Amino acid sequence: MNAGNYDVPEGLYYSREHEWVKLEGNLARVGVTDYAQSRLGDVVYVELPEVGKRVKQVAEAKGKEMELGAVESIKAISAIYSPLSGVVKEVNPALQERPELINTSPYAEGWICVLEPSAPEAELKQLMDAKAYAEYVKKLE
Amino acid sequence: MGHPYIPNTREIREEMLREIGVVSIDELFADIPSKVRPKRKLKLPPAMSELEVKRHVQAMLSKNRPFTQMPSFIGGGVWPHNVPAHVRSLAQRAEFLTSYTPYQAEVSQGMLQALFEYQSLICELTGLEVANASMYDWSTALGEAALMCARVTGRRKFIVPELISLERLSVLQNYAAGPGLEVVKVGYDRSTGQLDMGELRKELGEDVAGVYVENPSYLGFLETRVDEISEAARKKGALFVVGVNPISLGLLKAPGDYGADIVVGEGQPLGNPVSFGGPTLGIFACRDDQKLIRQLPGRLVGMTTTLDGKTRGFAMVLQTREQHIRRERATSNICSNEALCAVTAAIYLTSLGPKGLRELAETCAANASYAMKRLNTIGGLKAPIFKAPHFNEFTLRCTKPKLTIEKFNAKLLEQGIQGGKPVRGEFPKLGETALLCTTELHTKGDIDRLAEAAARAVGGKG
Amino acid sequence: MTYRQARWAREGCLEPLVFELSKAGRMGASLPRAPARVKIPEKLTRTSLELPELSEPQVVRHYTRLSQMNYGVDSGFYPLGSCTMKYNPKVCDELVNLDGAAHIHPYQAEETVQGALELMYRLERHLAEIAGVSRVCLHPSAGAHGELLGMLLVRAYHKSTGSKRTEVIVPDSAHGTNFASAAMAGFNVVVVPSNNRGRVDLGALREAVSNRTAALMLTNPNTLGLFEDEILEIAEAIHKVGGLLYYDGANLNGILGKARPGDMGFDIVHFNLHKTFSTPHGGGGPGAGPIGVVRKLEKFLPVPVIEYDRRRKRYYLDYNRPNSIGKIKSFYGNFGVLVKAYAYILLMGAEGLEEVSEAAVLNANYIMRKLLKVEGYELKFDTSGPCKHEVVFSAEPLKKKYGVRAHFVAKRLLDFGMHAPTYYFPPIVPEALMIEPTETETKEELDQFIEALKQIAEEARSDPEKLQAAPTATAIARLDEVKASREPILSWRMYRKLAKK
Repeated sequence: MNAGNYDVPEGLYYSREHEWVKLEGNLARVGVTDYAQSRLGDVVYVELPEVGKRVKQVAEAKGKEMELGAVESIKAISAIYSPLSGVVKEVNPALQERPELINTSPYAEGWICVLEPSAPEAELKQLMDAKAYAEYVKKLE
Repeated sequence: MGHPYIPNTREIREEMLREIGVVSIDELFADIPSKVRPKRKLKLPPAMSELEVKRHVQAMLSKNRPFTQMPSFIGGGVWPHNVPAHVRSLAQRAEFLTSYTPYQAEVSQGMLQALFEYQSLICELTGLEVANASMYDWSTALGEAALMCARVTGRRKFIVPELISLERLSVLQNYAAGPGLEVVKVGYDRSTGQLDMGELRKELGEDVAGVYVENPSYLGFLETRVDEISEAARKKGALFVVGVNPISLGLLKAPGDYGADIVVGEGQPLGNPVSFGGPTLGIFACRDDQKLIRQLPGRLVGMTTTLDGKTRGFAMVLQTREQHIRRERATSNICSNEALCAVTAAIYLTSLGPKGLRELAETCAANASYAMKRLNTIGGLKAPIFKAPHFNEFTLRCTKPKLTIEKFNAKLLEQGIQGGKPVRGEFPKLGETALLCTTELHTKGDIDRLAEAAARAVGGKG
Repeated sequence: MTYRQARWAREGCLEPLVFELSKAGRMGASLPRAPARVKIPEKLTRTSLELPELSEPQVVRHYTRLSQMNYGVDSGFYPLGSCTMKYNPKVCDELVNLDGAAHIHPYQAEETVQGALELMYRLERHLAEIAGVSRVCLHPSAGAHGELLGMLLVRAYHKSTGSKRTEVIVPDSAHGTNFASAAMAGFNVVVVPSNNRGRVDLGALREAVSNRTAALMLTNPNTLGLFEDEILEIAEAIHKVGGLLYYDGANLNGILGKARPGDMGFDIVHFNLHKTFSTPHGGGGPGAGPIGVVRKLEKFLPVPVIEYDRRRKRYYLDYNRPNSIGKIKSFYGNFGVLVKAYAYILLMGAEGLEEVSEAAVLNANYIMRKLLKVEGYELKFDTSGPCKHEVVFSAEPLKKKYGVRAHFVAKRLLDFGMHAPTYYFPPIVPEALMIEPTETETKEELDQFIEALKQIAEEARSDPEKLQAAPTATAIARLDEVKASREPILSWRMYRKLAKK
């Protein structure tokens, strides 16, 4: 699915902060969307969360406990907000050497981390599906 | 008559107002509520001509007694040195002097390259791979280093030697206050002045973010067990921070070679005049380690190429650490720094080269060694008070009953000599002691005069 | 007028690095011979030092060439918003080189530095008069350093009254340093929005204040170049809850002699001597960022303060101040910069300083009114009233119509021999171009600047690709900043290490 020039794959869940979630068994893989990477421009550094970090699902009033690190371009920095509550199980080691993967492959090679969600059922309801997210992005443009 | 710095004359201003349809200048200030408009003109001296200002300021400053007019043996954080004529004239070139921070890399390659060279030269001196484009001075660089240690390690305790300059310590404490770091002093060996290793080991737990020593120390002696201190810090996962007078590094081992993670120091002696203690130049360098670099405060200039990859160029890099992007989460609030002092330091170091810096360091140290020898033979004086090797500064204690160090200094001044900095206020335990400094500015004759004057001051023989 | 910056180049680079120019045995300075060898313990002795070796004429040419590839106020128009890039009178630079300024030591006996103390004492009083405060501390080395001191004073004040205050309020249009300085002093930052007139939203501010409020940091005129005309209401809202009002002095040039922060209710006032008081910026510093305070905060100021003993007719340094926060810098401030600022104030006098703000504000309004007529640039906030010393345009129309962003406009300006304005700041204006002409520019220069912006807007329509290839008249073309940040090379050492790999 597309939203203007941006790719919005089906089957993922999306947050208003432009993170995606892919369910993999009882784990959830997280990354930033095509729209987000395009707004950021060339990513030069990704600050990854520590494995074992406990995070909360992003809410209206944002706090540090909802952050999964940050993505940096030359002149901007953008926090990565966790779309779900849970514990970080794994981070993408490739991003240390090749932060540009966020730009070239936001939904595959450029994933950020894998979470073990603590309340997926309730929380997934707070997220959008591809169709709703595509609409949301179109409105932002 | 037109104003020399305001080129739009009253007539031109009238014309401009007409062109934009504004009746009077006052209309442009109408948005300032009348309640806050001043009822009177500012009370300042009437404008003076250039000549009058020159005479006025010259007359005022001529009341000072510069060390060009009398031998002065005072250091303690800024040190008098000769500034080669070409160093000053190059650094004062208008294109450097009147530029802002090099935000527009394309028109600022000169400043950017000069700063890259400064960073590179500091790296060579300190034995580290990364240096920023300057901090305000040694003390603020130390404050920033403590904060950086805390960010890198996630710990909140910072160890410093007890014999640290009280002023530097006060700045450090003010920097540490915000995030609530605890600054802990470790005592010294009574005979050498060096850090008490037993006490260090006691304080050095796994809650320590960084261990700081100075080499040469504030009181001039060398910290000879730096490799052990470094090892002890490393074992506990603390960072090792070393403070330096960069001139000493012509002679002394690079701190990077004995395990320093961060080096701070005062870059003033690298071609910048003492100037009553400012502008100064805060040196800040660290190891090439992502974990450290990401937490580094201040500006960094990096090497890159044009977009087509064909021509090398320089640009400010890793700016996301800085306040204009990261705001309250920046690694520091620093924006304006001491860039021109850094460029001066680059020109100075390039001019001296390795042999020149070594020769200079030797002269400074040899003069101190001669001065200590002369002073120590005088009854009622002891120099230095610590049994350790010294660089170019040393302590002098006045042991004559009832002669305070201030009185002693006053007696030197009567004889046309500026003595050392009294340190009794900082370290009461050290008694009537002053900190003296020699550099290449001091001739043998100056030192002999000091010794003779000192002998007269204590009423003994020189 | 056409422009071409000097370009000294060799294969693959501009001027080589000093390390590349080095040849063993060359020497660029003559030194007195060391009178004797000194003994350093072997384990502390240096064995290698790889500094470059150049002769003096080589050093001179190298840095002369570098300077020629650098643009300063002395080169041309420098409308960098919020930075007050005005002309710096040369006589001020000259005075700093006097023996009585350059060659005095901060720890010298007081009786031998009476002139220096007197100069600082008088400068302090002049600044206090200009800002309407009771005392000034000259110690801070730069604006952000002054902000940190200001925040430490806020802490000390609230601590002394026993009230626990954790929040500092900052408008969304504020300089990045405000946020960072408040955080550095241990405060949480609370952001208040601007209203559609580009001023602090008073309603939002009244909701944001509480008994947790330590201070509000405010720039006035603000970063949009607009005077906060509800300043008295703002001050009341802060003072009512026991907070302090902090003045960011970056924009003082716009109101010199016309209004004093102290009269507006500010408790702590910061100055940028390297902006308003015309000391040169030196490629990023040294600056000086003194802090003025109202009477109730005086006792917290850093030590030493300079006092005058009338009986003995002597200036002296007073360290005996039990409530002082201590120190924020070794010694007493960037004295060299202070001398320049003092000389500048004498050159201008009260009337001259008022003329400064009048001419600076007129120049900004002239640009505002003229540029409003040029298609491609627009104002996002209040356009009815005057601006102060600077004006913030948005190049959004160019972006929407032709895909030309503000930074392309800025880069293209360099080809006209002018420095770029500040861009993308303040963040509340999309495609912001923040223009501060200062009082030292001629009408002719302003006209040329407006013409240049007009031509650029025209190029955006006719040839956007060419526009995006700018600048071409500079020593070097656009740089790969992405590469520079992804694989940072921060020193010659690092470069050699990477080259080996």
